[in-house]
Amino acid sequence: MKLYDQIFGVVKQFRKLFSPGPVTNADVSGSITAEIFLIVSLVLSAILLRHVNVLLAGLVTMILAIMLISNIPLIPKFKLEQDDSLEKMLFYAIVALVILATFMYWGGNLV
Amino acid sequence: MNEIIPIMVIVPLMAALLISAFSKFNKVTKIFAFVVALCLPLIPILSNYGLHYFGGYQPMLDNVTGVMYHPAITYSFTFLQQIFIAAIGLLTFLVIFIYLTKYKKVSGPYLFLLFLGTAAVTAMILTDDIFHMFVFFEILALAQVGIVAASSIDYSYEMALKYMILGSIGSPMMLLGIGFLLALTGSVNVSDIAAAVHAGLVNATSPVFLLSLALIFFGWLYASGLPPFHTIKSGIYSKAEPHGAALLQSFTVISMISIVLIMFRIYASLPIFEVLIVFFSILAMILGVSLALTQTDFRRMIGFLAVGELGFIGLGIGLGTNFSITAGLFQALNEIIITALLFIGFGAIVNATNEVDTRKLGGLLAYHPKVSIMLLIGGLAMAGVPPLSGFQSKLMLVQASLSCGYPELSILAIMVSIATFVVFVKTYYTMFLKPKPNDLDLENKEVPKAMIFAMGVLLVIVILLGVFPDVVTSGISNFVGGIL
Repeated sequence: MKLYDQIFGVVKQFRKLFSPGPVTNADVSGSITAEIFLIVSLVLSAILLRHVNVLLAGLVTMILAIMLISNIPLIPKFKLEQDDSLEKMLFYAIVALVILATFMYWGGNLV
Repeated sequence: MNEIIPIMVIVPLMAALLISAFSKFNKVTKIFAFVVALCLPLIPILSNYGLHYFGGYQPMLDNVTGVMYHPAITYSFTFLQQIFIAAIGLLTFLVIFIYLTKYKKVSGPYLFLLFLGTAAVTAMILTDDIFHMFVFFEILALAQVGIVAASSIDYSYEMALKYMILGSIGSPMMLLGIGFLLALTGSVNVSDIAAAVHAGLVNATSPVFLLSLALIFFGWLYASGLPPFHTIKSGIYSKAEPHGAALLQSFTVISMISIVLIMFRIYASLPIFEVLIVFFSILAMILGVSLALTQTDFRRMIGFLAVGELGFIGLGIGLGTNFSITAGLFQALNEIIITALLFIGFGAIVNATNEVDTRKLGGLLAYHPKVSIMLLIGGLAMAGVPPLSGFQSKLMLVQASLSCGYPELSILAIMVSIATFVVFVKTYYTMFLKPKPNDLDLENKEVPKAMIFAMGVLLVIVILLGVFPDVVTSGISNFVGGIL
């Protein structure tokens, strides 16, 4: 029942996602699909770490799955972060540069 | 040497300048723009393959080292360039045709921007000179900003300005990376740089070489709208006129493949390069489709889907085999056509309803059956439903990732395709199938015939490429074999 309540709570929180304006069945189904798609695709992508280390892949996948599921609904938070604010766009541009630098520095053994 | 090759850049460039200068003569401008736009897809189809050395400076052979040097800016025209330049030429023609029939008085500066953008991407895909590519990349960025700012949609200026500000970060990074490459190799010719790297004249593990990769890669992310630039890219698509957005997305796809193919020739020996491409492509697919699922503005939804589809192209190129790169490039061609079809189709709906919120629409199937059927087929092609062109390229990508030993990527690609299908079915249902809201006024609002014609032409290509993919894939595969 706890999980059911949690999922029901998620659906109620989708209302914020579409305000102002009505929330239709199609919008809620789309958001639930997005929620499930996001969790499954991120977990699936984490499995790719097995090409670096199998143990690392297992650990990261499990931790990621637990983190993502226990933090649902992800999509409202996620959409809020991906809005048209220039500050956020610039912030994520800098994050991407950091990721590139990390890959170049610690990914040296892949070269 | 083939003298016709630069004509492909000169024709749209000169047309842009002439139209801008003589735009006060409305009728002449319209006829001239139409004739030039009609020529754009024909020139690459009628041209022979070959090379063009600007200034006539032929490559020089160093008799001591046996190395060939390219002193001139070189344009290379093969099957790949032919097919993409023809596709962009056709799209430019259709977009200009829609524009000319929509307005009685045309805007010279707007036509200037459309032709300038076409000339820029054509030069980018033809050139074998990385600095030359950068110059046209900058011209293209300005043309894109102009096309968005020139639209009559609310907040288009703001979005164009944001794109320009982000460009002021991405572009200098790329230029700095090119500068590092020049410092290391003494050349900006891609063939010369690649030869120096493969001959071991440049230490591939040196920090300067790796830094040049990181900087050019960051510029590429900006050019192609992969994360973190996916939000702004989808934003500019939604704030441009629908026909302008159709052309903008094709500019994005062609600049993406032009830069990545140059990077591939230089950095392919570094496994980290392929890891980076796959990483950002996966991110683009997940983010693009997740965000598309939650949109209520259908222009923004298509914008995010277009970004997600870019991930497929990157995935194919990141896997690095002949088959996967062929699949990635075929996907790029399909995306140009299919996304343009969707942008024009949804643009026709905006034209007929003045509404972009899916919640306020409904029952359009009865009012615009032709547009709805063509949009349905376009959406199915994007989702990868057989026998349409999107299915062929996505199937090739799934097979390529399986054969490379990454079944996770195959599953992810299939999941993204299914999610794309869900996005499209949801939007199609809300716009076309559910009952029409009472306050939606649809009387006496026709879809322009030019838009239906453009959609019909693109739809025929989608179906033909789906049934006969070999017409394109065998030629692309030969090209890829040459660069591997």
